[in-house]
Amino acid sequence: MNALVRVGAIALLIGCCVVIGAAPPRLPPDQMAKAVRNDAISIPTPGELFAALEKPGKPDWSGQYRGPIPTTYRNRAQIALNLGGLIADGFVAVEAKDSQQVKNIGSDIIKLAKALGVSENLLRRGNSLNEFAENDEWDALQEELEATQNEVKFSMQNHSDQDLVILVSVGGWVRGTQVVSAAIMQNYDERSAKVLRQPALVSFIQTKLNDISPELGSEPLLKDVKEKLVDVEKLVSFPAGKAPSIEDVRKVNAAVGKMMETIQNKTDAK
Amino acid sequence: MSLRLSILLMSVLLSGASFGQTESDRDVKARKIALEVAGAFTNDGFKMRDGHWCGALKPHDLALIAVNLYAGNQYWFSIGAIDPARKVAVNVYDETGKQVTTENYSEGEKAAAGFSPTSSGQYFVSVDLIEGNESNFCLVYSYK
Repeated sequence: MNALVRVGAIALLIGCCVVIGAAPPRLPPDQMAKAVRNDAISIPTPGELFAALEKPGKPDWSGQYRGPIPTTYRNRAQIALNLGGLIADGFVAVEAKDSQQVKNIGSDIIKLAKALGVSENLLRRGNSLNEFAENDEWDALQEELEATQNEVKFSMQNHSDQDLVILVSVGGWVRGTQVVSAAIMQNYDERSAKVLRQPALVSFIQTKLNDISPELGSEPLLKDVKEKLVDVEKLVSFPAGKAPSIEDVRKVNAAVGKMMETIQNKTDAK
Repeated sequence: MSLRLSILLMSVLLSGASFGQTESDRDVKARKIALEVAGAFTNDGFKMRDGHWCGALKPHDLALIAVNLYAGNQYWFSIGAIDPARKVAVNVYDETGKQVTTENYSEGEKAAAGFSPTSSGQYFVSVDLIEGNESNFCLVYSYK
């Protein structure tokens, strides 16, 4: 009898294990909290964002252009933020397949990068952007823009400007989100609107900005950007799987529009 | 192999030589294998991110990275590891930690997982050493 009970218990235990094993594995919260988060992989490029937006239908990319921005900033944080924004503009021009616009933006990117004293390799990148634009090599152009952004960041790291690296990503994300939210407002579609949900990304950006050295972090421009990001995080925190309404999209657009305005035009930066 | 992939592989080898202080030779080798895996997807129109994550992998110790993905895009996460790693696996989890269903490719020290998120947001990609001993790995990802 005892043997039968033992066999039954073992069978029950195995049965339980099979049932438990059938459920998809889960990561415990502490393991997720410890996951690596880095600029190179954890922050998507404007190209990824624009690719997702295009799925339901091609937006009017040229309708999202903005006027030329100053290339004479003297504040390094402001240059880094605007450099990121310009690279996002480059991605917009590539999506619009507008070679002249790509060349204009490429030229501005090089001017701003030079002001930061980044490497001479960037001049070669600038030439490649022109060459690819003249030959209508759009896929290569998109890859070259991303490579240019990474070249800028790598150069910053080598010049002990590690703090500026995140600012390039922030500028790119803010400008990319401004473009995408504007395009969604023009032609609302639930599938497109879903791309705006990125609470963890904004939270990661905030963490990185808080890690910036106190000297740079106390810049009025960066304090302003950090304050505005708190509001933006709330606005992009839609429930998973739910598409934001057009009114939600308008709010996101207004918030990132204000951030872009600050990044581009704030004059009391140190 | 596409011209673009050849250029990428070449740049990996050159960067390994130039920036040896920041990235070990073993990382460079692992990255080259990961790029070879990802190269197969570029033929299907996937664009490769110009970024990577390299690290050390211990047996049955998950290496985990957070990524932020967009609904509507398709993604492939490609892994390359080097000897003495013999078999690696890659999996994707959503922001609640639940494993998502992926299309998988696995061949010894190479592996890839592909999926299309229906919700934008944070996901986690895990790399697991199934067979072999502690070694280096590298992850790259592609999207379209």
